[in-house]
This record gives sequence, C-alpha cells and structure tokens, in this order.
Amino acid sequence: MADLTKLAPGAAVLLQGNEAIARGALEAGISLAAAYPGNPSSEILESLADSADSAGIHVEWSANEKVALESAAAASFTGLRAMASMKQNGVNVAQDFICNLNISGVRGGLVLVTCDDPSGISSTNEQDARFISRLASLPLLEPATPEECLAMMRFAFELSEAIGNLVVLRSVSRLSHTRAGVVPGELPAGRALPYWDPKTRWFTVPVVPRHQVMLDKLARARSIMAASGFNRYQGPDRPDLLVIASASSALYAAEARRMLDVEGRVGILKLGCTWPLDEDMILSRLEKASHVLFAEEIDPFLETEIKALYAQNAPRLGVMNFFGKGSGHLPLIGEMTPGKLAGAMAGILGLSWLPVAKDYRLQATQLAQGMAAPRDLAFCPGCPHRASYWTIKQTLAVDGRQGIVSGDIGCYTLGLHPTGFERVNSVHCMGSGLGVASGLGQLKKLGFKQPVVCVVGDSTFFHAALPGLINARWNRSDYVLVVLDNSATAMTGFQPHPGTGVTATGQPGVAVDVESFCRAIGLPAQVVDPYDLGAAQEALYDALQQPDGLRVLIFRRVCALVQGRRGGHPWRMSVDEKLCRGEDCGCHRYCTRVFRCPGLVFDEARGRAAIDEVVCVGCGVCAQICPAGAIKAQAKEDAA
Amino acid sequence: MSDLVHDPLNILITGVGGQGNVLASQVLGRALLAAGYVVTVGETYGLSQRGGAVMSMVRVSRDRTMGPLIPENQATAIVSLEPLEALRVLPQYGQPEVVVITNDRPLLPINVISGQSSYPDLADLKAALGQVAGRLLWVPATQAALALGSPILANVVMLGALAASGILPIGLKEIEAGLAQMFPPAKMAPNREALSRGWKMVRS
Amino acid sequence: MTQASAASTPPAACLDRLRQEVLDPGLCVACGACLGLCPHLLLYDGQVAAPDPCGLADGRCIDLCPQNPGPDPRQRRAGLQAARGLGDEAPLGPVRRAWWGRAQAADLGGRAQYGGVVSALTALALEQGLIEEAVLTQAGQRGTPEGVRVRDREGVLACAGSIYAAGGSLQALNQALAEPAEHPLGVVALPCQSLAAAAMGAHPRYPAGRRLKLVIGLFCTMNLSARGLRQVLGQAGVEGAVTRSDFPPPPAGVLVVTTRRGVSEIPLEKVRPITLKGCAFCPDLTAELADISVGAAEGSPGWNTIIARSRTGQDLMELALAKGLVEAKAVPEESWAHLTAAAAGKRARAGSAREEINHG
Ligand SMILES: Cc1cc2nc3c(=O)[nH]c(=O)nc-3n(C[C@H](O)[C@H](O)[C@H](O)COP(=O)(O)OP(=O)(O)OC[C@H]3O[C@@H](n4cnc5c(N)ncnc54)[C@H](O)[C@@H]3O)c2cc1C
Ligand code: SF4
Ligand code: SF4
Repeated sequence: MADLTKLAPGAAVLLQGNEAIARGALEAGISLAAAYPGNPSSEILESLADSADSAGIHVEWSANEKVALESAAAASFTGLRAMASMKQNGVNVAQDFICNLNISGVRGGLVLVTCDDPSGISSTNEQDARFISRLASLPLLEPATPEECLAMMRFAFELSEAIGNLVVLRSVSRLSHTRAGVVPGELPAGRALPYWDPKTRWFTVPVVPRHQVMLDKLARARSIMAASGFNRYQGPDRPDLLVIASASSALYAAEARRMLDVEGRVGILKLGCTWPLDEDMILSRLEKASHVLFAEEIDPFLETEIKALYAQNAPRLGVMNFFGKGSGHLPLIGEMTPGKLAGAMAGILGLSWLPVAKDYRLQATQLAQGMAAPRDLAFCPGCPHRASYWTIKQTLAVDGRQGIVSGDIGCYTLGLHPTGFERVNSVHCMGSGLGVASGLGQLKKLGFKQPVVCVVGDSTFFHAALPGLINARWNRSDYVLVVLDNSATAMTGFQPHPGTGVTATGQPGVAVDVESFCRAIGLPAQVVDPYDLGAAQEALYDALQQPDGLRVLIFRRVCALVQGRRGGHPWRMSVDEKLCRGEDCGCHRYCTRVFRCPGLVFDEARGRAAIDEVVCVGCGVCAQICPAGAIKAQAKEDAA
Repeated sequence: MSDLVHDPLNILITGVGGQGNVLASQVLGRALLAAGYVVTVGETYGLSQRGGAVMSMVRVSRDRTMGPLIPENQATAIVSLEPLEALRVLPQYGQPEVVVITNDRPLLPINVISGQSSYPDLADLKAALGQVAGRLLWVPATQAALALGSPILANVVMLGALAASGILPIGLKEIEAGLAQMFPPAKMAPNREALSRGWKMVRS
Repeated sequence: MTQASAASTPPAACLDRLRQEVLDPGLCVACGACLGLCPHLLLYDGQVAAPDPCGLADGRCIDLCPQNPGPDPRQRRAGLQAARGLGDEAPLGPVRRAWWGRAQAADLGGRAQYGGVVSALTALALEQGLIEEAVLTQAGQRGTPEGVRVRDREGVLACAGSIYAAGGSLQALNQALAEPAEHPLGVVALPCQSLAAAAMGAHPRYPAGRRLKLVIGLFCTMNLSARGLRQVLGQAGVEGAVTRSDFPPPPAGVLVVTTRRGVSEIPLEKVRPITLKGCAFCPDLTAELADISVGAAEGSPGWNTIIARSRTGQDLMELALAKGLVEAKAVPEESWAHLTAAAAGKRARAGSAREEINHG
C-alpha cells in the first residue's frame, strides 16, 4: 500500500477498489478509521494506515469489528467524520451495535464499509451483508467501479451528516480487488476540533418515538439519494427487457447485452443507491416495460424489494413478468458473470446463445479434466500450523479415545484440509471453536467419552475467544485449548494484533499476551514450540490425561512468512539417499505422502525423497518425522 | 495510440500463489493506462499464499469501462506462469483464436507431491495446449529468470514475451515505464533484462 | 478371506488390515512387534495407533502381529514351530526338558521376580557371546514399561522383576534390527512376543530377523493396560514406578506390586477391568515359541519353572547349571499336571473367544 495523500488531484491513476474507497474517505475529511482485517476488505485500512501520518488522522486495527465501529461512532459523536471497514462476517459481529446506533443516530459523517465475498473466494461463507441496511433502516450504496467507490464514499459522508445516521457502502471482492483508472479529487484543508457537548446524549429510548425518527431519516435519505445521479437508466425508452442491476452486475449486463447484440431491445437500470429504493424512478421504468430481469450479487435483495414495490402498484402497472433468482433464470449461489447474464437474457428474449462453439468447450474440458490435477491448498513450507496439526493428529491417535478438535477462522482453518491432516472437526465463525469446545466439555456427565481439543489463532483469541474461554472456565468445562500463536494475522496479510504490541500505523502499542490473560482467570498456560514435535506431543498428551477442567497450551512459533522477512530459518536441509527408504515397507514416502510439506518432493526415477531447495525454507521439522534419519539439517552458516 | 487487435482486449494472467501474478497485471495495467486506454484489472486472490491458483484479468478498451471479469470463453490471450494452469483455465476462458503464452516450468501441486494425483508429461501437456490454443508460445521463463539470478523474475520475462506476441497496443518501452512505477531505480536493471529476454525468446 | 477371493480382489493394505482386525476391535496387546518398523505405527505410553494409511499392500506389520488370527491361528503357530524344526504339541508346546530352578547369584537377591533364572540366563548368554545385545523390559516414563537394549550383566539386572503391563517393548527389537549391524540378539518375551519373534525370524522380507538368536519366554496368563494400571494404582495411592508384580495363587485374590516405596496389594476386582481384551484370544500360557520358557514354580516361592524347547535353550540352561549359576531340581509331578491343565485351559478359552468373534 502507499500513502494516498500523495496522489495528484485531477491525474488518472490505477487504483484498487479498496484504495479508491480509502481515498474517497480521505477526500471526505475523515478523522478516524478503524477495522478488523478480513479479505477482501483489508487493503482499505492498510492504505489509510499508510496515509495516517500525512493526513493527520487516527487509523487503527481494532480487536474486532464491533469495537471498530464503536470507536468510529465515538468520533462521530464529537462531530468528526469517521469510518469502519470489515468483511461481511464482521457486519454480523458489529450487528448488535448497528441495530442500536441506527436509533441513536450520529453526528459527524459515519460510514460502514462492508466488503462481501460472492463465491466465498476467501471466506467461510457466502453472505449478502446488504440486508443490514434493510434490517437497520440505513442508506445503502453499491459502487460498480473504483471510480464510483471514490465518488460514493464522498457522497456517503455528506449523506450521513445530512440525515444524522450511519450509511453503509457495500463492495464485493471483485470490486475491492479491481484496479482501474481513477481521477482523485482534492483533499480537505482543515477539520473541526472534536467536541462533545455534555448536554447531548446518544441513546435509543424511548424506543417507539425514536424508531419513528429513524424512519424519517431514511425517508430524507431517499430524496437525497434520488438526486445523487448514482441511479441511471441506459437503453431504449420502451425496452423488450428491462434489467435492474447493481454494482458489477450492471457492467456485466451491459457486456452481455453487447455480446447478444441486443442493445436496441434491452435497457439497463443501474442502481447505485439500493436502499431505500428510488421508488419514483423505478416505477417510471416499470411502467415502460413488461419483462424485468434482476442482476445482483448475492441474494435477491433488489429483486424481492422491487417485486414488493410492484405488488403495491400492480393495479396501475398491470401484469408484469419478473426474472432472476426467483424464476430460476439466474443461480442463487456464486458470483455473477457476464456469461450467466447473457444466458438469462438470451433465454428471456428467445435467442440461442453459447459463449463458444460446443465442440471447443468439450475438447478443452476433456483435456483439462484428463490432465489438470487439482491444486490443493497447503500450509506454506515451514508453517508452524503444519507442525501443530501433526502433533495434534499423532497425539490424539495415541491417546486412543477418538478426540475431537473444534476450530475457527484463520490460516489454521486449513486444518480441515489434507494439509492439516483433516484434523479439525468443526469450523464456523471467529471464536466458535471455544464455544463448541465449551459445550462438548460439559457432556462427560452425559456419557461423552471423547477428549476435546480446541484450536484458536492468536489474533482470533483477542477478537472473539474471550467470552467462550471465560464461560468454559466459569462452568468448569473440560477440554484442552491449544492457542496456535504465530504472532500474526497471517491469513489476511500480516496485520498486527493486540498480541504483537504494534499498532496499524507501526507505532508501539502495549502487547497483550495470551498467557497473562489466561493466568488472570486462573489458568496456567504452558508455552511450547510446535517445531519441537516431541515436546509438543508430550505437553498435549499430558494435558489430555489430566482428569478435569480447562487446560491451556500455547503453541508459539512465528509465521513462516514473517520469519522469512526476518532473515529466514536456520537450516539447510538435505536427504541422504543411502538412508532414505523411499517406497519400501518401513516408510513408503512418509514425508511427501503423509507429512506433505511442499518443500519435500519425491524423485520418482530414483525412488528417493529430495528437498526442493527453491521451496524449502529450512525449518527442520521434517527431519523429526523421517523414520530413517535420512533428512538432515545442517546450519545454514556452516553450509554456506 | 495503436489500435487494439480486439476491443475489449482480454488478457488473463494465471499462475500459482507467490509467482508474482498480481504484480505483472499491475505493471501491464499502469502501462496501458498511461498509453490512454480504459483499463480494468481484476485480481482473484484469497488464500493465494497457500499454493492455490491465482488469476488476474486485464481488460483494455479504447473508450468503455469493462467489468472486472472476462466473459466466459472470451480471453484474447492467456499468460500463464505455470503450464498446467494454462490448461486449467482454457475450458472456461479459451476460444479457438486464443493466444496462449506459457512458462514451461511446472510447479507441482501438493497432491502431486503426495502421490495422490499425477502431473502430465510435459510433451503431452504442450500438445494438449496446442490443440485448444489458436497460437501457443512455450516460453522457458523460469530458466531465463534463474539465469538472471532469481526465479521470481519469470513474471517479467513473461511480460516481455507477451509484448513480443504482438497482441498489445504498447511495446517494451511502455511496459518498462510501468515497471519503473513499481520498482525503485536500483532494482530496475534485472527487470529490464528479464523483459528483453522474454521479448527475444519470442521474436528470434 | 479365502485364497480364491484373495486372487480376484486386490489385497487390502497391510496396515488397513492391522487396523481392521486388531487395532479397531481393541485386540492389540501392545507387544510392539509392528512398531519401529515404519513410521505409520505409533506407540506412546503403552498405546499403539495408526493415524494414516501406509498405502502398501504387502508390508510386514500384519504378518508379525501375534493377534492377527489369519484363516487358522493353530496352523500359523504350527507353521512357525515347524520352521524351526519343532512340533506344536498340546498343550504346552515342545518340551525338551523341564526343571524347577533358581539363580545363585547374590546380586540378583530381592530384585528378581521369582528365582531370577531369566536374568541369570540372559546375562550368561551375553557373557558367552551367544548374543551381544538383549532386548528387555523396564519401567520408563510415567512408569509405563518399555523396551530397553542391554549389552551386559548390569543392564540385565536393572530390568529384573516383572511389570504386569504392556508397553510395546518389541519396538526396541525392531529398532535394533533396523540398524546396519551384524551381531546376534536376544529377547525376553511374553508368549505373544515369542510368537512375534518367531515370525520375525522366519519372515521372507525381514532378513534382519535372522539375527535373533535367543528368545527367553515368560509364562503369562494375561496382561494389563499400562494406563489402566497407572490409574488404578493412583486411585489406591500407590506412587512411583512398579518394579515387580505378582498374582499370588488363590485364595489371595490380589495383585501385589512392588515400588521403590514398598509393597502394596490391589484387590482383583479393580484389576479385571484393566485386563487387555486381546489376551482373551491368546492360547499360549508358556511361550511355546521361545527357546526356553520361564515362569513361577507353583507353591514354591523363590523358584522358577523352566522349560527348554530348542537345542539352544537347553544348552544355555545346562551351561548355567554346569557353571553353578542356577541350581535346579525336578518339577514335582503334581505341579506339572497343574501347569498342563492351566495351559490347556488357556488354549480352550482362546479358542472359544475366537469362535465367538467369528460367529457372533
Ligand atoms: C505381564 C506378565 C504376566 C505374567 N504372568 C505369569 C503367569 O501367569 N504365570 C507365571 O508363572 N508367570 C507369569 N509371568 C512371568 C513371571 O512374572 C516372571 O517374569 C518369570 O517367572 C521370570 O521370573 P524371574 O525371576 O526369572 O525374572 P527376572 O529374572 O526378574 O526377569 C524378569 C524379566 O521379565 C522382563 N519383563 C518385565 N516386565 C515385562 C513385561 N511387561 N513384558 C515383557 N517382559 C517383561 C524383564 O525384562 C526381565 O528380563 C508374567 C510376566 C509378565 C511380565
Ligand atoms: S520419510 Fe525419510 S526415509 Fe521416508 S521417503 Fe522421506 S526421506 Fe526417505
Ligand atoms: S499386538 Fe503387537 S503387533 Fe499386533 S498391533 Fe498390537 S503391538 Fe502391533
């Protein structure tokens, strides 16, 4: 990322959607930005952090999304503009606050940016967070391009201040991670001093009249948004087919229309302001069409609301035909593509269309299916999680009581995959592993005989694990918590977190460490190096044998990629071919077939394992698993 | 401004996490933007550090803003930093005229290393690509990059090969300027060399 | 599986079979025969596990496992006896000569289980060079028995006494055999371990097994789970590693264990639940596949019953007698009759347990 205050106003630059969102916020004069890392949203706060010094603003990674939004709201209460950004799951974490903040209202412009992830490219779910706007009666903006990201952010702050409530801007991974030419505007010159008049209060009671106030704000937003110019119609006055689309889907619709060569027959109503609906504009388009297709990601949000609007006006509009996710013309799952829309449009218009000759597709598919081996995800070479899951797998096996492992979100979610030996039994949301373990740990008295292990990352520990941990402690739940402490939020790009003692802007913070926290609630936490397989196994085994209660182990070893940036690992690895047992009984490629670090390869021709020197980082863990002592670790210094 | 061989020009860059795919697409995007085109670069990454496939889509038009996704079977060119990844994207994005420019150096998937799946014989893979590509450029990019001192330069070698293929409306000079936006001057020498090696491998 | 169907279906992976037939049904007796051969089989604190498939069809683990019934368990034992030129006489196995005996050495006093004959013979075999290294069993971490490799009298004495728990001690034997060395080895083995040792010696794909030159067998009625024993002892307030265990003949009704802190008695009803399930399928009381087998001398504390089975076993015992290391007398007829009846009883019980599992 880079300092976005340095961009020259008026000169087009290639900006990522997330950077454009950040630049828009800077141009709107924000004073505080807070977030919790999560793809595809992370670059927003990262680029703001890089700009914080020059812009003179406060930018922070917060412990979780709810805290981020609460901090931003505080700045708003003092009259400053502020924002919080997060991925779709984060909106759920912040939801309780959102659903009260909407009633209390805000003062300085306050914007919540949610980056949703259609197709779950980097998520554990495929969730449409636009419903928070519907749920909490908040204005919703959906940009389609990086350029619109910037413009809509500026508009969002104005709107928020004008109505006195939170505004939601929704991006998706494709847009957040798209780069396109953007022309930056001017940055503001000065900003007001924060001040909270002690006579003012921000709260929600009495609820019913204040609920009405909230709805009045939404009504005001409707007219301001209608004048924004973000809702546009393009196409013939009386189209054979009206496509109502938001965000990238509007671009795909335009492209599909061109691919089918039906520009004269299809009109596109592109909505940038998607809640509350610009009813007048939509009704005026519905009047001139009888066939309507909805194009949006992920759920049928506009589709449902506009159908409801139609129902209200049906006597006047007469019979209309609606197509989209409801009619089955578009799938309810996965991200939108130009091809999906072209197929739907062709079907409705009675055209025949294929993206490419059938033969070609068949041939290419056959060749690819026959040859293209899948590319499984894998922990990086040297990843401490591989070593940790190895220990968990081996130890639960020799424990012999069919242990269960609950987990949650982070790089270590890959414990579900072969790279983590499929040793994780449940994954849901941030911190869910601790709650699940807490419940399992109560079932002994009902006859549950299996031991329970819960894995949690260090960043997740601070985000959402604490209530689950305290609950387990309080209620005497019986399980072993293994904190996989790699001292980084590695999954999302190595952002600092409370345990690292560094803030978003690289300033020293106060490190909050896991073991002190555990000690404070009366849990002695044993720290183990997961690279030392023997010691880790012994610690876990002993913890499992303890008869009752909650036990905490911290498997602490810095993320291999972070270690790479800090000068790398100590060992130069090699395989002694004379000792290697290869495919014989007595091994059968244990290192490449079972341990599966990408740094190890199997030389089929020689029938021996080998180190891939380009990939191996030299962590030395595999030397401990080779039954023949064939994998040798030599200190890099000696080897050089 | 030279004309586009196709508007929009759809260039799909594919490879494996860690190969510098996103950087290559950014260099290209910056160079094309500077040359006055409307550029959209879509990047797909999530767990890209973890050995999975990574894709970028560079879309270029004279005047229209394009969505970030290349429509199904409409890639003008596929630049692949790993040969198997080229084949993997062809059913969804290829078409009879597509120009496939691929690095010839395999990166074995972990499931191949483990013996569960097998990697095709390189000659067979090349033949398969030849069958479904309009034109195939088989480029020893990693080898060239290693000769320059680092395998990571393969992405820039591939940009040189792409420039030489005649698909782009811009030349080496413009790409070099794009690189200069991304790298400090001190790091430009090997990049410049990588670019020209890629060019020469296709043009001679 | 019959031979015919084996030909038509691909053979199940060796480790899968071990898992299906022995580990999953809980029949493993933690003898250790399959351990130390390959990394897929793990031993920790007396428990054997195989978390990953090994992917081979014809590995050795399943062949060495004494709990692998095969189509005909009796046939398997007879085959292994025949491989060393002996017969499968019922119910005591081949008997060349039998004695009651006890070791004379003063340094064994108090440490040995009964008469110390096992230790005396092992030490003698090492001194004579019949073997250069012996694999014995000793209490290790957490008090769980584990295999140890010894090369001299001192090492042998450190292992004297019996621990009535299973700890996979043959792992150490496999590890010794995996090393690039030529010297002859010996092992002190329970009946299940004696069978495994015989299988190692005869296995076509285990050439190192030929280095095993001496198997001194122990009588055994049943063994206990090491973890279970620790738990039971913990509940009874017994601390420290067990060095000696004994089931005194009825009507005692107790297990007597000796630790460094003293002697304690555990009532038998506490012991029954921690008995290894697999032992019920073992037909062998007297280590029929050993070179020489040693047990208690009923009603004669401080003495052993000794049965020489092979030429090697008999020679070793006779040398010990000649050197005055062991004194011996004839086995009283009544005692021999008891032993015979007990051995027949164990064979019969194992047979019906196997029937039940096959048909129930
Ligand atoms: C589990 C178990 C059950 C037994 N059950 C009977 C029985 O029912 N009837 C009977 O007459 N005798 C039984 N014995 C044998 C008896 O306890 C003596 O080991 C035997 O009589 C030899 O006595 P000793 O004085 O010569 O032994 P020592 O000279 O004291 O030598 C004992 C030897 O036993 C080995 N040993 C100790 N613990 C184990 C173990 N867990 N696994 C393998 N080897 C071990 C030691 O390495 C040592 O070499 C049993 C032994 C064990 C270990
Ligand atoms: S685990 Fe050791 S012996 Fe087995 S293939 Fe790997 S290097 Fe060779
Ligand atoms: S009985 Fe022995 S050989 Fe069989 S599985 Fe158990 S330890 Fe392995």
